Amino acid sequence: MPVPEKTYKILVIDDEEQIRRALKSILSVRHYEVILAAGGEDGLDLAIDHSPDLVVLDLAMPGMGGLEVCKDLRTWFSGPILVLSVRPGEADKIAALDLGADDYLTKPFSAGELLARIRALLRRSSGHAAQPPVISASDIEIDIARRRVTRAGHEIDLTKTEFEILAYLAQNADCVVTSKMILEHVWGPEYVEDTQTLRVHVSHLRKKIEPHPSVPRYILTEAGVGFRFCIS
Amino acid sequence: MIKSWLERHGYLFALLCIAISTLLFYPGRDYFAKGQWALLYLLIIVLVGSLSGVRPALLSALLAFLAWNFFFLPPYHTFVIADPRDWLSLATFLLVGIAMGVQTGRMRQREAEAIAREKEATLLNRFSSHLVSQTTTAGMAEILLDEVYQVTEAVSTALFLPDESARLVCSRSLPAGELGDEIAQLASWSYEQAKAIGLPVVRSTMGLPGHPVSVPHEQVASIGARKDIVFPLQSASRIEGVLYVGAKTDGTVYTAHDARLLVSIVNQAAAFLERRRLQSVANQAEALQEADRLKSAFISSISHELKTPLASVTATITGLLEEDVQWDSAAVREELVAVGEDLGRLNDSINALLDLSRLEANAWSPQQEWYEIGDILGSAISRVPQKQRDRIAFSLPDDLPMIRVDFAQWARALQNLLENALAYSGADQPVRVGASADAREVRMWFEDSGPGVAEEERTAIFDKFYRGTASSTVPSGTGLGLAITREIVKSHGDRIWVEDVEPHGARFVIALRREEG
Repeated sequence: MPVPEKTYKILVIDDEEQIRRALKSILSVRHYEVILAAGGEDGLDLAIDHSPDLVVLDLAMPGMGGLEVCKDLRTWFSGPILVLSVRPGEADKIAALDLGADDYLTKPFSAGELLARIRALLRRSSGHAAQPPVISASDIEIDIARRRVTRAGHEIDLTKTEFEILAYLAQNADCVVTSKMILEHVWGPEYVEDTQTLRVHVSHLRKKIEPHPSVPRYILTEAGVGFRFCIS
Repeated sequence: MIKSWLERHGYLFALLCIAISTLLFYPGRDYFAKGQWALLYLLIIVLVGSLSGVRPALLSALLAFLAWNFFFLPPYHTFVIADPRDWLSLATFLLVGIAMGVQTGRMRQREAEAIAREKEATLLNRFSSHLVSQTTTAGMAEILLDEVYQVTEAVSTALFLPDESARLVCSRSLPAGELGDEIAQLASWSYEQAKAIGLPVVRSTMGLPGHPVSVPHEQVASIGARKDIVFPLQSASRIEGVLYVGAKTDGTVYTAHDARLLVSIVNQAAAFLERRRLQSVANQAEALQEADRLKSAFISSISHELKTPLASVTATITGLLEEDVQWDSAAVREELVAVGEDLGRLNDSINALLDLSRLEANAWSPQQEWYEIGDILGSAISRVPQKQRDRIAFSLPDDLPMIRVDFAQWARALQNLLENALAYSGADQPVRVGASADAREVRMWFEDSGPGVAEEERTAIFDKFYRGTASSTVPSGTGLGLAITREIVKSHGDRIWVEDVEPHGARFVIALRREEG
């Protein structure tokens, strides 16, 4: 485990003490600076005081709920927000993403999953300057600058749109990317509703890069949300 | 036609008979002796009696007596009797005429009654045999109303039954349509008072058990004169409903005969309703028992599935915390890996229970959208441990159509089937996953090379908490996986079943109807 070159500040907002304790121990030993808040209002105050690099936010809290905190936080906070939820496949996660959260985790989660998400989010938020020009996942190499994609050394012929979708997914590797984000990035803001077109393109893309296009391992669908490009 | 006219206008018929016969007899007055005319009049009286009954016969006897006297006994055209012997003839004639009229009239009545009884018996027989073949209240209502409609020739008829809140509602009417508030009020009154309205009095000699007291229309507030009948369906235990029979099409009133028939039909209907009610009470009791059985299966499954991993985690962690042994870090790691696995299992069990409860409570309705099969399958596979994934062989054609499902639910359903196949196949046996499509259906299947599923277990294995006979060979599960999968498939309106694979193994197949889109 390499020590991060910069010490990131992470604010954890969760009403359950056990979760706060577990997150603190997982994150502190990896040299993150952890600030703990036991409730929504508390969390917002601490966010203003400490200006963290990332916020981990529980959605189900008594009093000021997670969604509300997320909305409030987004009015001035531009760093990544990772929300935690107990229910899989529920609408509140999608609502949180719509309110500006960047990714979600379903409780219970492993420390590995949590760290992977946090690293992916911090990598993304640190700006494109830090993005490597070539992104590789298993046997696939995506050369962003040269607009070339190879699998096991053989070049894959992608259309312009397919490449842009793939590049965008890869630059946000391991983070959830909503259909809306892709559509806005690749086609433009006026096309955000056109999810059916996006699915067709993703389907073509999968046929070209996936070893088993019917059982994707790189481009995974996140039910009702969008996609996630898996590097690991 | 003629018969009913004769019945309704008996007196007129008697008058006509005597008048016509007198006109016919009169020209021949001098050919026969005066006594012979009396015999001919007797024939006419018999005719009237046999066609129109006792009273018209009596009238005809009286009229014949007068006509004979007036036209055939000298001096003619007066009621004066010249010959004193004629007094005796005249008195005898009147007595014989009356006696014959009464006799033939009675015979006719008995015959009519016998025919009516036979008709009644046939009808009741038919009704009860129809009733036996009915299993639903709706079916019973249909044949009851058909029968009543035919028998009584009523304008309309309807059956009122109490709903769940014991409020009387019209369950069926013939001809179909609204009957109006007044009739509904009459029915409610009859239901609450257990009294019939407008039913003609049935002779007590008929001995009808459970026959409710009848009141005339006038006694029910603000109803007034009507010709219809409202009749409570009285069973041994309570009023099961109310039968409404509208006025007769021809405007006549109901007779005691109609009433008797109605009472018999209604008694049978009431008995049917009572039987249905008792049956449904018994069914509910059975369902409750089944629910109890499931509850105890649930509790024993829960205590096993939740407590086992919890127990082993507790034991492991407290073991590590004991200070009597110095653990090296490799050993601690090994123990914690086991703890992690136990907790994963615990999480799976809780998720399975939550999913099933949500499905059963209809709190997880599918959000259907178009997806690729592989997409969903990929999501299911990503939740299976990496080292297991290599055992899965795929047979998915490239041109599979998209399917319209709830992604999260479907991924869960496929994951359950996948985990099942992996568990039953044995450690390094392959599992085959495939899909195909034709014009009507998309099929997906999961094949294992395990022991297979016995014919008689192929439905039961989809029941919750059911653990097949083959399950003793594999690690225990909640017994919920297949139940959840079936619920999900069902909620999408699709089918799932299990079949054999040669030489051994089971194949779970899901068939999705193809939609336009």
